[in-house]
Amino acid sequence: MKFLDHLEEWFISFLMGGAVLIIFAAVMHRYTAGLPIPVVQDWLLTLNLGWAQELCIIMFVWMAKFGAAYGVRTGIHVGVDVVINQMNAKTRSKFIIFGLLAGATFTGIVTTLGANFIWENGMHYFVFNLFGLDTGVLPEGPTTPDLEWPTWAVYSAVPLGSCLMCFRFLQVLVNFIKSGDLPHHDHSHVEGVDENIIAEILIAETNADAPNSVVATGDNKKEVKQ
Amino acid sequence: MSSIVLFSILLALMLTGMPISISLGLTVLTFLFTMTQVPLESVALKLFSGIEKFEIMAIPFFILAGNFLTHGGVARRMINFATSLVGHWYGGLALSGVMACALFAAVSGSSPATVVAIGSILIPGMVKAGFPMRFGAGVITTSGALGILIPPSIVMVMYAIATNTSVGSLFMAGVIPGIVLASMLGGITWYRARKYNYPRQPKASWSERFRAFRESAWGLMLIIVVMGGIYTGIFTPTEAAAMSAVYSFFVAVFIYKDMGLKDVPKVLLNSANMSAMLLYIITNAVMFSFILANENIPQELTNWMIEMGFGQIAFLLAVNVLLLMAGNFMEPSSIMLIFAPIVFPVAMKLGIDPIHLGVIMVVNMEVGMCHPPVGLNLYVASGLTKMGITELTVAVWPWLLTMLIFLALTTYVPTMTLWLPRVLGMM
Repeated sequence: MKFLDHLEEWFISFLMGGAVLIIFAAVMHRYTAGLPIPVVQDWLLTLNLGWAQELCIIMFVWMAKFGAAYGVRTGIHVGVDVVINQMNAKTRSKFIIFGLLAGATFTGIVTTLGANFIWENGMHYFVFNLFGLDTGVLPEGPTTPDLEWPTWAVYSAVPLGSCLMCFRFLQVLVNFIKSGDLPHHDHSHVEGVDENIIAEILIAETNADAPNSVVATGDNKKEVKQ
Repeated sequence: MSSIVLFSILLALMLTGMPISISLGLTVLTFLFTMTQVPLESVALKLFSGIEKFEIMAIPFFILAGNFLTHGGVARRMINFATSLVGHWYGGLALSGVMACALFAAVSGSSPATVVAIGSILIPGMVKAGFPMRFGAGVITTSGALGILIPPSIVMVMYAIATNTSVGSLFMAGVIPGIVLASMLGGITWYRARKYNYPRQPKASWSERFRAFRESAWGLMLIIVVMGGIYTGIFTPTEAAAMSAVYSFFVAVFIYKDMGLKDVPKVLLNSANMSAMLLYIITNAVMFSFILANENIPQELTNWMIEMGFGQIAFLLAVNVLLLMAGNFMEPSSIMLIFAPIVFPVAMKLGIDPIHLGVIMVVNMEVGMCHPPVGLNLYVASGLTKMGITELTVAVWPWLLTMLIFLALTTYVPTMTLWLPRVLGMM
């Protein structure tokens, strides 16, 4: 399980970084190839980076699908929780369970739809061909325009990603029923800034300078969570 | 009829608190299985092709660039530069806060990020200098909203995707309204600071100003890379986003040295997480708007509106009210993706410019971010200052009121938005 978690994190970080580098390289190539530097220019002109855009899109589609699954684990998917937060804990947890089940249902259906789609669009042919079975009238399926990769392989991100996402929803659900904990992504927090230290300085400052002015109390914390 | 069913399902599902993306997807599926003859294959295809556009890829790139930039250094240098310019006027640090937010907004595409980047440094500074905390929090919460109006802006890219308008022209259209709003926010800050006699900074000499400028130049250059690149056609908006990601990585790691190479994987993972969430909403919103279009709902709405005798003015008023209400419950990206495909056809029929409509919607989102119950900027500021939401709401009202006036101005003075892209020949 730990291994799957790390693989997932490593995979989406890699896709993110990779896509940036590819587009960067393609743009650089486009402009440096125009510079009249003897040997370098000849070499650059032999490179064709026309596929960069397509590869970038594919990488981001994969990142989006697997990242969405990772997002379930980190609780980043936002919902409208204004209403259910007004309810008492028991009713609220019923709605949360319903929401998680709905997530699992949706991703489950998408997995079947997607798997069906890629199977009909070339995977069937590929598998039969691989095992030397009679492919008959099965279509070979389309390929992508620039890279000429089989579309079904590229699109398999949808069933694979959704399947993982479905699993994550169920995992969060089991966890919630067992312990009542829900992964929660704090959207008001931005990486790289240590807010607590700042707040402490602030409170100290306000206390020292103006004892009557607004000082944060424990009650505010409750309000923030709403 | 089908439109009522569709929206009731969506609303009911959303109110249960499940993720917006899931409720959009489930609405589409429920509708498909029970009410229409639309072949399932065509929807399955949308699942794949929904985000297969190069323009959409600008979103993850801008998020990544923004995450590199929030790591302190760039924002701090921009604040120093702004303070050296306007710190000696009435309002002092608060005024330089507005300016620093505007500058940071020009390199970052998100509002909450702007609030954190500027607020975490400046609010403590302002309190130290003798401002009441609520004044500082009010200024930064509202000025941070400039993040999505001044280009680059993630919300503008969302609008462009939902309505097939040009990202480049939208970005250009945001420049002047952004400057106007910054001046208006600065104006009200100046007025209130003068009234209550808040402290001012000593006047900086020209050599100090120059030094502050030179230090922040690496960050400011990014404005030229993105806007200049898009305007001259050197980059497409997506490429500009990728370049700004690489550039801000370079600046953060090698020039300002605010972060080491070992922090890079974490930034990548966080950006991927955030972008995947947005891309997931986009995929499902694309399916939803496909169903809408398939059921002719936008057309029905258009016909109904015209029958009712809605003119441009009444329609825009209705749009503003609708969006401000939606801003109470949802975050900007979802509002944009759900509402843009619905109001867009009506606006076209009434002869409203698509770029103008986009800017109006963005300004609405800005206002929505600064008032409760779901104002992201408020939560960020509340996290920074540990002030309660209610208290912050009171603190932001002078600036929020200014923003509402600005919203009316943007809505009914299209020239302000459309002049720059027209002059530049981008539309």
